[in-house]
Amino acid sequence: MTHAVPGRPRLGAIARKIGGHLVRGLAMIWVVATISFVIIREIPGNPVLGQYESLIQKGMSPEQAERATAVLYGFLPTGNLWQQYVGYMGSLLHLDLGRSLSTPGVEVTTLIGHAARWTVLPVLAGTLLSFLLGVTMGVYAAIKRSGKLGDALALSGSLLHGVPVYVIGLLLTAIFATLWPIMPSGGPVDVEFVPGFNAGYIGSLVHHAVLPVVTYTLASYGGWILAMKSNVVAVLGDDFILAAELRGLRRGFVFRYLARNAILPLFTILALSIGMLFGGSIFIEQIFNYPGLGLLLVNSISSRDYALMGGTFLVITVGIVVANIVADLLYTVIDPRVRSGGAA
Amino acid sequence: MTSHTTAPGVRIRDLTVVYKTPAGELPAVRGVDLTLAPGTITGVVGESGSGKSTLAFSLLNAVQPPGRIAAGSVEIDGLGDVLTLRGEDLRRTRGRQVGYVFQAAQNSLNPLKTIGKQLLDLGRSHDVEDLRGLVRDAKDLLARMGMDGARVLDSYQHELSGGMRQRVGIMLALVLNAKVVVLDEPTTALDMITQATILRIIREVHEERALTTLVITHDVGAVAEVADSLAVMYGGRVVEHGPVAEVLGDARHPYTQGLIRAIPRLSGDLSLARALPGRPPTLGTLPKQGCVFRERCERRMEVCETDEPMSVNRDGRTVACHATDRHLTLVKRKEFV
Repeated sequence: MTHAVPGRPRLGAIARKIGGHLVRGLAMIWVVATISFVIIREIPGNPVLGQYESLIQKGMSPEQAERATAVLYGFLPTGNLWQQYVGYMGSLLHLDLGRSLSTPGVEVTTLIGHAARWTVLPVLAGTLLSFLLGVTMGVYAAIKRSGKLGDALALSGSLLHGVPVYVIGLLLTAIFATLWPIMPSGGPVDVEFVPGFNAGYIGSLVHHAVLPVVTYTLASYGGWILAMKSNVVAVLGDDFILAAELRGLRRGFVFRYLARNAILPLFTILALSIGMLFGGSIFIEQIFNYPGLGLLLVNSISSRDYALMGGTFLVITVGIVVANIVADLLYTVIDPRVRSGGAA
Repeated sequence: MTSHTTAPGVRIRDLTVVYKTPAGELPAVRGVDLTLAPGTITGVVGESGSGKSTLAFSLLNAVQPPGRIAAGSVEIDGLGDVLTLRGEDLRRTRGRQVGYVFQAAQNSLNPLKTIGKQLLDLGRSHDVEDLRGLVRDAKDLLARMGMDGARVLDSYQHELSGGMRQRVGIMLALVLNAKVVVLDEPTTALDMITQATILRIIREVHEERALTTLVITHDVGAVAEVADSLAVMYGGRVVEHGPVAEVLGDARHPYTQGLIRAIPRLSGDLSLARALPGRPPTLGTLPKQGCVFRERCERRMEVCETDEPMSVNRDGRTVACHATDRHLTLVKRKEFV
């Protein structure tokens, strides 16, 4: 039989859905880029013009100064707002975010690319680790919710969830890098190793990543425990679980029914928090002197490096927009009820 | 195959189920004796909180905490006392020997899996080797109930209507050839037409497969259509039990009489339907001694305050009522004078 089951998506519908998401995502990114362009251009003191003028004061000719500033920001410092805007958007389309002021001459994209490496892996590892840990413990806490260990898990979750991440980070540094120095106190890697795929370098990378990742995990697994516990308790009360037991389904099947239904809402939050990781974790990177995106953003702000700031904001925006799209599409894949929803 | 042997009988003896409450353990079902004759449909009616669902769960030894089966036995032919089964033995009994059909409005299906996949999970759980055969049986059953089997098995729960889900529930309860089937409120929350269809299906499948069936409902009309015998529950006790036509045509317990008076007729004066005065008891308000129904009874006597009426069996009917007992004894005596 080839008749289409009503409400089941066809390829065309899926393509349309993805297309719609892309269009909306690009529109979102365009809006953010425009706003950050206007802010940088209109911020008190007009840094663009200020740069241009200070270059002239340093003895450059106006033409030279104009070219130099144009290279820095991606648009001409003089001329009307509209011309500048078109110039900025044009270079954005070529993925040219301008050049950094604080690290003169280096392209913003290069700086962000370097920082992203140091952010994505540790924060991704931390996010996934805290998710797995929190979800497992949440299931346990829900099933054993009348027992002492279940209570203790849930309580530890809520307590740690309430402790600010920098307190955990400082405590861990104090204990494991000062009192009992088995861990490096900061930096991403020891300098004596040659970067590359060799045991010493990778070992040093992992060694340096342990404390940041543990800090991140401790600070965020509590939320997952609490969310997962309440989801599991809610699903446990659903009739289909009892019905499955009364049909004599094996415990393994019943558990899978339970876990899959309970974990479903968490995937959206997971996808979103993976998007957020492009913002880096400012506190953690600051404490452990980890040269990620968070630290890059802080440094760009303190050194008034507007091109870098704008670029970092843009990368964070793209990360979040993409994560939103992924979360929505992911839901379509894992939840059949959403699949047959209104979109088709 | 043993599936075409005669239907098993079910004997519930002295069943007491208590629920743990802040006020101590209170009985939801107390001292219930009920025999389901092989190959018959027994209806159980009662108001909310009368203990009828608890009774249904007891047949699968599945009373949910904080409830607990405190005493009694549920003997099923060929299985023994279900209440002594534990662990894997109990799990294999559920579904394979005793089928359970949930209330329609509630969702008894996993929303994330197609019906077909859940059917396979069921088959694997019960070590069915011929899964193709299982799917074929399921399709036959669904077709039997007027549905396109292939399409239903390929659907998710949310793609089916309430009546279709209920039929899927019946299919899942029968597909492993369970001989005892318990239906908990099978027609609640369905529209009138679907109700009639479901009742017809229950009746037909019951006869075809030689089942012993228990139907729990608060709908006296539904029971009248489908059941052979009728048990009336009140406050955790079976107050009257007998052939359905006799119980409905000539109710002996004052509660049954009140229930029947309360049914509004499709034709005739609506005001003829009279609600039973008072409220059904809850676990906490059940009287500790005497008759559970006396507060709402128009025929209460002094003895009702102190002594619990025993179930008395006369000409195939069981009634637990002091007043009825005295009346019938007097009638009988007069006949012999």
